[in-house]
Amino acid sequence: MKKAANNKIQSIVRACRIILAMIEADSNTRQSQKMYYRMLLQYYTRLRDARENGQFIAAHTVFFPAEILLAMDIIPMHTETTTWMTSLFTGECGEILAAGARLGMATEICAPHRGMAGAFASGALPRPDVMVWSNMVCDNTAKSGELVMDICGCPGFFIDRPFKDSGLEKTYMAGEIRDMIAFLEDKSGKKMDYDRLSTIVERMDRQIELTRQVNELRKNVPTPFSPLGFLELLTIDYLFPGQPESIEYLETLKAELEEMVKQKKGAIPKERFRLMTLFIPPMYLMSFLEKLSVESGAVSVIEPFFTFWGEGRLDASRPVEAVVEKAYMIPETRMYGPLGESALEAIKKCAREWKVDGAVYYADVGCRHSCATIKLFKDALAEVDVPVLTIDCDVVDQTVTSEEEVRDKMERFFELLEDR
Amino acid sequence: MLSIGIDIGSLTTKTVVLNNGRFLASVVSETLDEAEISAQVAMTKALERIDADEDPLRFVVTTGAGAKGVSFSDRSKAITTCLARGIAYCVPEARAVIDIGAESSTVVKTNERGKVLDWANHDKCAAGTGIFLQQMAKLMKLSFEEMSELSETASKGADITGTCAVFAESEVISHVHRVPPTPMPEIILGIYLSVSSRIKTMCKRIGANEKIALSGGVALHKGLVRTLEKEIGQPLFVPDDPVCVAALGAAVLAGEEIQKETAQ
Amino acid sequence: MYDHQNKHNSQPRYTPLKTLEVFKAVNRSFPHTDEINHIHDQGGKVFGWLCTYVPEEILHAAGILPVRITGYDRETDLDDGNAYLYMNNCSFSRSCLQMGLTKEYAFLDGVVGGSTCDGARRLFDLWRQYIGTPFHHVLTVPRKYTENAHSLYLAEVEMFKTHLEDHLEIKITDEELMGSIELYNQTRSLLRELYNHRKKPNPPISGSEVMEVLDACFRMPKESFNHHLKKLLQELDGSQNAYSGRARLMLSGSVLANPDFISSIEQQGGLVVADELCTSTRYWGDMVEVQPGEPPLKALARRYLNNYPCARMFPSEERFRRIIETAREFKVDGVISEIIRYCVPYSHDLPLLTKRLADINIPVLSIDLEYGSSGSGQIATRVQAFLEMIEAKK
Repeated sequence: MKKAANNKIQSIVRACRIILAMIEADSNTRQSQKMYYRMLLQYYTRLRDARENGQFIAAHTVFFPAEILLAMDIIPMHTETTTWMTSLFTGECGEILAAGARLGMATEICAPHRGMAGAFASGALPRPDVMVWSNMVCDNTAKSGELVMDICGCPGFFIDRPFKDSGLEKTYMAGEIRDMIAFLEDKSGKKMDYDRLSTIVERMDRQIELTRQVNELRKNVPTPFSPLGFLELLTIDYLFPGQPESIEYLETLKAELEEMVKQKKGAIPKERFRLMTLFIPPMYLMSFLEKLSVESGAVSVIEPFFTFWGEGRLDASRPVEAVVEKAYMIPETRMYGPLGESALEAIKKCAREWKVDGAVYYADVGCRHSCATIKLFKDALAEVDVPVLTIDCDVVDQTVTSEEEVRDKMERFFELLEDR
Repeated sequence: MLSIGIDIGSLTTKTVVLNNGRFLASVVSETLDEAEISAQVAMTKALERIDADEDPLRFVVTTGAGAKGVSFSDRSKAITTCLARGIAYCVPEARAVIDIGAESSTVVKTNERGKVLDWANHDKCAAGTGIFLQQMAKLMKLSFEEMSELSETASKGADITGTCAVFAESEVISHVHRVPPTPMPEIILGIYLSVSSRIKTMCKRIGANEKIALSGGVALHKGLVRTLEKEIGQPLFVPDDPVCVAALGAAVLAGEEIQKETAQ
Repeated sequence: MYDHQNKHNSQPRYTPLKTLEVFKAVNRSFPHTDEINHIHDQGGKVFGWLCTYVPEEILHAAGILPVRITGYDRETDLDDGNAYLYMNNCSFSRSCLQMGLTKEYAFLDGVVGGSTCDGARRLFDLWRQYIGTPFHHVLTVPRKYTENAHSLYLAEVEMFKTHLEDHLEIKITDEELMGSIELYNQTRSLLRELYNHRKKPNPPISGSEVMEVLDACFRMPKESFNHHLKKLLQELDGSQNAYSGRARLMLSGSVLANPDFISSIEQQGGLVVADELCTSTRYWGDMVEVQPGEPPLKALARRYLNNYPCARMFPSEERFRRIIETAREFKVDGVISEIIRYCVPYSHDLPLLTKRLADINIPVLSIDLEYGSSGSGQIATRVQAFLEMIEAKK
């Protein structure tokens, strides 16, 4: 593949280096945050050099069990995350989305997935050896794989994650994972190391436990974790499931938060509003939102569908079944379905236990299945007296909303909360 | 101490002066290039209207697009908070207010204390706003009064399904130039229905379904109000001075700030 | 209900099909058809179903009248649907929800759906929360055709049957199931006969007329539908009607139930001779084949999963293969792809589908629209241009 293709990954590597240098120079930043950026740097450096090093690259979608790839020494490329990072750090978001449009993708297809196809087509992302994906948690993800296979001329495997969480359906999914392992063994020439997978599962179990403990600490008033820190928790799960660095990061973070709580210190100077975040804020507005949070005293203290894990433990003695179990425990899959009382109870529980003042719903214009829950969640949260702000936006596409619009809406919302 | 509220809109600036909660005056002036100057001119006019002293004691709350850039503003407040307070003052029974301004439309759900419970707004494009209606009026060479009168005679509204002002405009144009042309009353009713549809969706999103008031310049557009009432299925409260509701609310908030400071 | 004008200026002679009026009457009076009123008077039940992955025969075998949930038959205000499903869900799901929220589906005693796509998923979540029908069931539908997938789907179908039996306090016997399967197979073969007429160079029935027939199929007891369809086929056998057009077209895409849309294509001179829609071949395309000694439920489940594919199924090539097969069978000159805005699975398929069809020299006109569209205005203009392009190639 052309050297040019790797330059876009290089843009992520460069951005990580710059951010890392900045925060390492700042004595006020968390040790855990530095670890986080080091992990990102390592991930993207490895991806950038994988072709040259003759390594086997598997592109995969979000919420896909990347632990399977890691257990087989296959280099993972998380397509949605890499696409949005590339869009952001090259400043070529428009071009990447336009490339997706030229392929014939409708604008209603969610931006990370349009962008993914466009990024592969334009060579912004390196060509993978295989494309592996699942239908977690929406149609867009389910339908992304085949076009990527066509564009990249590579084989692929689709994991069918069923709808309900019955024993029968979990057995089906385990079968899917086993079939995928056979596919990967065939294409990569590598064998699955089940002992290694068991170790990864053990670590994933610990990772989830630590995440729960971190969330428990966030219940404190004032909350010890930075306003948008939850994005780190998310990315750790997406990119480094069951990796030793994840455990290190979480243990360090936990200790930092415990220390803050002991000293009765909050993440921001004056905590005024404790927010619940529903869905993800636009990626290109992260630093703006961080600033706004500090200015206005608003912190996100819990994210029911991104950081609030379902109950359960992972049994490392049956690693494939454990991977299935995890797929059902991931916070987002609580939304998958059927969306009933238990999901609504989870939201209300989060609101009560984290002492939430208000919720912010980032209504991503490309995300059908999540926007259809806005009214449902509003009504549920009204039962526990939590108002909800809806912000129409897009995770990747910068033309949908602006800093100004978001600021205006947030300020109206903060006034609403203050006024009560 | 005077409570002064100034709403700096895209076309006009509205000022309301209260004293201890008692209404003294309201003034509407043109919004100029700079918010600072618009607000200054507006306030000067308002103070002249009440024959005030040279530099009376006052608390000024600004709202609207240019609110923050006004140097003599004591506090700036979101338009939604101002609308809620304003409507509570002039229509105490209201539990929601539909504000159709020049460039955006907003529905605010309120409680009996004039607090905002929720809101929805439409600011992505001009469809359903004052500017859109003005454009349509110009296109058909009619005044708002003429539009209102004509719409009464329509038995049904022309199909205008465009979700965006540009599409809606081209649909209106094609209705006008059709052979034979769609009757004017039907086109007008079609426009009203299209605006109402947008408003209805906003109301439903936030559960604003009863005791609804109207504010903003468009509230004086009788034909639209009538259609809106019919579509929403509720009588709509239109205050005497719908244009100044937000400014009134800003003045009420100014009064609250004065009370807070006196209490300390 | 339908503002349906069939302009036959281009046709030399046209004798209206008498039996078609029966179907049109059903469509216009639905849900207050004589049959539904009668069933309710007798204390019978009517269940609504959504998606071609719901095995209708089971409902029939339980003595229920199954009717398809198809929302409004035209583009209309969907304020309630918009408020709950939000603007970025397809107008089909919003239309169905709107009808549910305004109690226009209150005549249903039960609803059954599949976990087929995001729109359907959420529709059923919201339906359960805000509308509530005495019986509510959603089947998990795998996205693959593997043995494991078939096993899972069969188990799902069995669970659905059990849930239904418990709710109605009855038992559905294999004999009853076989009876329903045979009845529905008859419907399918009659519809195949109807479609065979469209293979002719000058078909005696238009695409929009066929859509009227299909719409009625979703709303009538199959016994009565089959009876009338047989009559229609007899009429067609003896009919002198012969439609001609500028090009033979195939309609492909998601849910479409408004014959007016097809009319407006045909008014431009396009002969719609074939289709691949949730409301057409995807519905009736395949027969249930019960092997000797095989439990009928197993054969039923096998057929429903293997059925003419929805874009949600993997691999997409299977759907493309069938579309190409149909296009060849009906000798089409071009394909009109109609995709409802925000219909994700079908939008994703379009780039590859277009490629596959281009490989066999079949051009594709891609139209995105709202559910219930009558196809006027912009759409008619684009169809014109498409037909001109095809004619120029000939």
